[in-house]
Amino acid sequence: MSRPAQASVTRLEEIVGGAYVLTDPSELAARQVDTKSPSAVVQPAEVAQVAEIIRFAAAEKLAVIPCGGCTKLGIGSPPARYDIALDLSRMNRVLAYDPHDLTLGVEAGVRIEELLRVLAEQNQFLPLGVPFADRATVGGIVAANSSSPLRHFYGGVRDFCLGMEFVTGEGVISKGGGRVVKNVTGYDLHKLLIGSLGTLAVITRVNFRTFPLPPAQGSFVASFADAESAFGFCRAIAQSVLAPQILEIADPGAAHLVLSGGAPARITSQQWSVIITAAGQPSVVDRYARELGRMASIANAAELVPLSDAEHSSVLGRISEFPRLVLDAVPSATIFRISVLPTAMPSLLKNLSEIAKHSRLDLATLTRASGIMHAAFLAEEGSETSSATMAGGAKEVFHICSLPENRAQAMLESCQSEVKRALGDVWGPWRQDFELMHRVKSVFDPQNVLSPGRFAGGI
Amino acid sequence: MKSDRNTLMQRQLIRELVALLGPKAVLSQAEDLMLYEYDGSVELGSPECIVFPSSTREVAEIVRLANRYETPLVGRGAGTGLSGGAIARDGGIVIAFSRMNRILEIDAANLRAVVQPGVVNLDLTRAVEHLGLYYAPDPSSQRSCTIGGNVSENSGGPHTLAYGVTSNHVTGMELVLPEGEIVRIGGKTIETPGYDLNGLLVGSEGTLALVTEITVRLTRKPEAVKTLLAIYDTLDDTTETVVDITVRAITPAACEMLDGFTLRAVEDYVHAGFPKDCAAVLLIEVEGLTEAVEAQAAAITEVCLQHRAREVRVARDDRERDLLWKGRKNAFGALGRLSPMYYVQDGVIPRTRLPETLRCIEEVGRKYDLQIGNIFHAGDGNLHPLILFDERDPEQFKRVVAAGLEIMKHCVAVGGALTGEHGVGMEKNELMPLMFTPEDLDLMRRVRAAFNPAGRLNPGKVLPLGKACGEIRVQPMPVSTTIPA
Repeated sequence: MSRPAQASVTRLEEIVGGAYVLTDPSELAARQVDTKSPSAVVQPAEVAQVAEIIRFAAAEKLAVIPCGGCTKLGIGSPPARYDIALDLSRMNRVLAYDPHDLTLGVEAGVRIEELLRVLAEQNQFLPLGVPFADRATVGGIVAANSSSPLRHFYGGVRDFCLGMEFVTGEGVISKGGGRVVKNVTGYDLHKLLIGSLGTLAVITRVNFRTFPLPPAQGSFVASFADAESAFGFCRAIAQSVLAPQILEIADPGAAHLVLSGGAPARITSQQWSVIITAAGQPSVVDRYARELGRMASIANAAELVPLSDAEHSSVLGRISEFPRLVLDAVPSATIFRISVLPTAMPSLLKNLSEIAKHSRLDLATLTRASGIMHAAFLAEEGSETSSATMAGGAKEVFHICSLPENRAQAMLESCQSEVKRALGDVWGPWRQDFELMHRVKSVFDPQNVLSPGRFAGGI
Repeated sequence: MKSDRNTLMQRQLIRELVALLGPKAVLSQAEDLMLYEYDGSVELGSPECIVFPSSTREVAEIVRLANRYETPLVGRGAGTGLSGGAIARDGGIVIAFSRMNRILEIDAANLRAVVQPGVVNLDLTRAVEHLGLYYAPDPSSQRSCTIGGNVSENSGGPHTLAYGVTSNHVTGMELVLPEGEIVRIGGKTIETPGYDLNGLLVGSEGTLALVTEITVRLTRKPEAVKTLLAIYDTLDDTTETVVDITVRAITPAACEMLDGFTLRAVEDYVHAGFPKDCAAVLLIEVEGLTEAVEAQAAAITEVCLQHRAREVRVARDDRERDLLWKGRKNAFGALGRLSPMYYVQDGVIPRTRLPETLRCIEEVGRKYDLQIGNIFHAGDGNLHPLILFDERDPEQFKRVVAAGLEIMKHCVAVGGALTGEHGVGMEKNELMPLMFTPEDLDLMRRVRAAFNPAGRLNPGKVLPLGKACGEIRVQPMPVSTTIPA
C-alpha cells in the first residue's frame, strides 16, 4: 500500500474488525509471494466482507492475492503488484454436508486434513491426497488444481467439484454450478476457477461430491532394474481389466524419498518402483494380488511387495507429499508438473535425464500413470548450482515438452525466485488460447485487482 | 422474433454460400427449411438456410460471411436435443455438421480419440469396440445424436452415474470463434495449464463458439456386467431403495427408475419383459471385476428385498440385458403412443429428496388433472417427468405449463437444478432467475459477450431475454415416437 497506507488499514479494519487486519512484519513475511510482501493481511469472516474488501481494493487500485495455508504461493510468475493478502483461513466452516446424498459444501478456508476427518466419521472421503495436507485449504487446493495420486481413479478437482461461490475482481458475489451431482444449468463458470491461481475471483465456497471409503484396500510396490520394465508393467496394467486407485512410477531418486522412512525396509528403494493401490471388497483386493504378481513376473520385476495397512498409509502420505519431501531435502529444488501422454513418458524421461546430466543436476521423478509427472531438479549433493544453470535447464524442459514426440505441457510448480527471474516466463511458450484466457480475465477482473501477473500469458 | 432481413440480401448471402460450398451443401427451399425448424424439444424456429460444411476452414468462411451479412448462426448435430439448442430462434444460418463425421484418430494406447463434431455417439463406440474400449457418455439418443451436439449440451445418459457426463470426457477442442478465427484449446493430455476453457465450452449450448474437432477420452470395457430388475408394489418402496443404495455407498454404474404407468406403455411397445401390474421398477447395472460385480449385485439385491421388492431379476445373458435397456431407452417413444403430445422435464434433486419429490409430482398431476409418467436416472437424482397432453386443448396446455413450473420450482427449492442433461436452451432460459441471481446472470452474459460479442451465435438461448421473466416457453407440437430420452 504505497499511498496513505494507514487510511487503508483503517478502512479494512472497519470491514473485518481491528483484530483481523495484520501488519506485523512476521505476518507479512509469511504471505510473501516471491520477493514481494503485502502491506496488510486481512482475514474476513464471511463472503460479504470479502466482497467489500475487493470493492475497496478495486476503488483504491490495490492488488489482492487470496491465500489460506500459504503452501502454494510460489506457483506462477512473480506478481506485478501486491498490496493485500486476503487470508481466508477464518472462513473454515462445513456449510452443508449431506452424507446420504454424498454431497458437501464448505467454505474455502477449511483445511483439507480437518475436512477429511469430518468425512471419515461418515466413512467417506474426497480424493484429495495433496501436498502440505496439514496446512493446505480447500480454496488453495482448488485454485492451484493440486494433484493427488488418487487422480488415477477418481479424476481431478474438475471431475468432482459441483459448484462454487466466489467474489469477482469487481467485488461481486457470484456462483457457478450447483449442489447436486448432475447439473447443466448455465455456464460452468466454477470450472474456470480451478487452477486459476486466484487471478479470476476469490473462491469462498466449494461444493463437492463425496466418495464412500472402500471396504478394503491393498497396496503393492514392484521394483524394476530399469525404466523400460517399469513402464512395461504399467502398460500391462493399463491394458488389463484392473482399474487401480493409484498407479505411480517412481524413479530411483523419487523411490528413495517416498519409500524410505515409514516404508518397509525390505523394499529396495534404489530401483525403479511402481506403486499400486487396489480398493474394493476383500475378494477384489485378493484378485489384484494374484493378477499383479503374474504381471510383475512377466515384466521382470525384481520383486512385488504387498504393504501392510500402516505401510500403505505411510507410503500414500509420502507420495502425496512428494513435492514437499523434495523441498525439505533440497530447498533450492526446481519442480515441474508435466502433463504427458502415457506413450510419451519414456521418451520424456530420457530427455529430462539428459538435461539433468549436462546441467550437472540430480533428477527425481514421480509419475502418475494417468498422465501427470512431477520432475524435480536438484543441485548435486555438495555442489553449488547457480540460478542461471537452473533457469537454463528449465528452458530446456519447456523446449523438450514441445517436441512432437513428447507433446507434453509443463508447468513450473516450485523454484527459487532468482530462477524465475532468470527464466523470464514460468508458463512456457506462448499458446494461441492465451488470448481467450485474457478475454475471460477481462470479464472476471477487468481492473486486474486479483493476483496481477501471476498467471499464464502474462495475466 | 425474426428480424425482417432484406430478402435481396438474403438471396445474395445464399448465392455466396453456394459459391463457397457448392450447391449440394446449401439448402434454402421452404420444404427443406421445415425439416430443420424443430429438434427433439417442443420448440420451433425457421432458419433462412442450412449449410453442410465439410471442413473447419469452410466453417470459418461461413462464419465470416454470416458476419458480413449480420446473420445469426446456429450449430446443429442430429437435432435430438431436448431444449431447443439447435433451433434457429432468430432465423439465420443453421450449420449442420453431418458431413463432418470422420473419426480422425484412435489412440488406443493413450485412451483418446479425435473426432469431428458430426460423428454419431454410438459410431465412436463401434469403432473402438474391437480394442476393448468404448466412449462412456451414453445418452438414450446415442444411435443418432452426435458428439458435437453432446459437447454443446454436456449430455449425460444412464451410465453417467459411474462415469460422468460429457465434460468429464473431453480433453481438447478446435473452435471456430464468432469472428471466424480458428483456435485450439486443451489437447490430448489429461490437463493443460491455464484456465479450463474445455470446462467452460462443454455445455455452453453453442453460444460461445462452433466446435469443429473434439478430443475425447476412451474407456476400457469392464470385465463383467450384471443388470438387475427390481420390481415394486409401491412407489415409496422404490424411491427408498434408491436412497438406501446411495447411503450404503454401493455405486452401481446405472440406476434407472420407471413407474408403473410408463413401464406398461413400454412393455406394450418393446416387450422387454417388464411386469405390467407393478407400481415401479428399478433397472440397476453393476460393472467391474467379476468379484466386485458379484459382491455389489448381492448387496443391491439385499437392499431391494429389504424395501419390499416383489422380485429381483438378473438378466441371464446379453440378449435379456439389451432388451431391458431397449425398453428404457425407447420409453419416451412408447409414451408417445398413448398421447398426442408430451412435455418432458429434466430437474435434478439431492437423492435423499427422491421419495418426497415423487410424491410431489403425483400431487401436481392430481392438482392439474394431468397424466405424468416418470422414467429417470434415479441414481443421480435426475428426474424426467413426462406430462402427457393434447395440443388441441389450449386450456389443458396451460395446465401443463403450470404443472411443469411447479415441479421445477420444487427441484430448485430442495437444493436441486433446473436441468441435469437436456440443457437450458430456449425452453428454460426465462427460468434461470430461479437458480441464479441477477449478478450471476450478468457475469454469464459478459462471459458470452467476451466470446460472442455481436450475439450472433445461437441467439436467444441459455440466458433470459428478460421479456417474460419466470416463464417456461413451451410451444405445442406433435411428438414423434422416435424421440429418445
